[in-house]
Amino acid sequence: MRPVLWGQIRTGTGGWVAVPFLVDTGADRTVFSAGVLGLLHLAPLATSERLGGLGGIVSSVVVDTQVRFPQVDGGPVTVRGFYAAVTVREALDMSVLGRDITGLFTVIVDQPGQVVCLLGQRHRYRIESF
Amino acid sequence: MTDAHRALVMEESRDPHEVAQAQAQAARLARNAAWLQAHAADIYPRYRGQHICIAGEELFVAATPDEAWALATAAHSDDDGRFLYYIPVEAVARIYVY
Repeated sequence: MRPVLWGQIRTGTGGWVAVPFLVDTGADRTVFSAGVLGLLHLAPLATSERLGGLGGIVSSVVVDTQVRFPQVDGGPVTVRGFYAAVTVREALDMSVLGRDITGLFTVIVDQPGQVVCLLGQRHRYRIESF
Repeated sequence: MTDAHRALVMEESRDPHEVAQAQAQAARLARNAAWLQAHAADIYPRYRGQHICIAGEELFVAATPDEAWALATAAHSDDDGRFLYYIPVEAVARIYVY
């Protein structure tokens, strides 16, 4: 089971598109896949960025938008800002949630327990021994 | 990207309308996601290299993400919990570092 968090991204027409994000604690940045970028209808900023990974260096565009995650108890949490997006489909098969967002939370990826979540200020975790 | 571009702003919505809309969309998304997980073993081998969209707990397949999205939207225009997924051509271990 891949560690996936389901979020929503604000489109250029004011709606929200549901997007699966791969939780990547090794990723410096959140990056949208090319497929998702195509759905957003957002005008890229004039600036661009090069991203490095196992496959080498790829170019990306930057878009100004919002990423939203539902909360178990409360309203959605929205993170506004500038996000990178690749334009080549093969560069990313899935949008990646990087430490620019996950660094704002405690991240739990519990594969045996099938739990993937972000803990905010109102939630805590406790480690117990048996 | 400049340092100014890197700053993110986080906020929590308490607007009842937005909360209700977000929760409803999340619920529809969760149903579609559960459907994909339940059928993944059949879908992935069959549609490698293809773009899929899950909407209304149904599978829509196309060569491009736009086509898959359009097919799903035509069939389930009211399901804002639909999502795209690309199935890589090769079933190999994936390492993501960005």
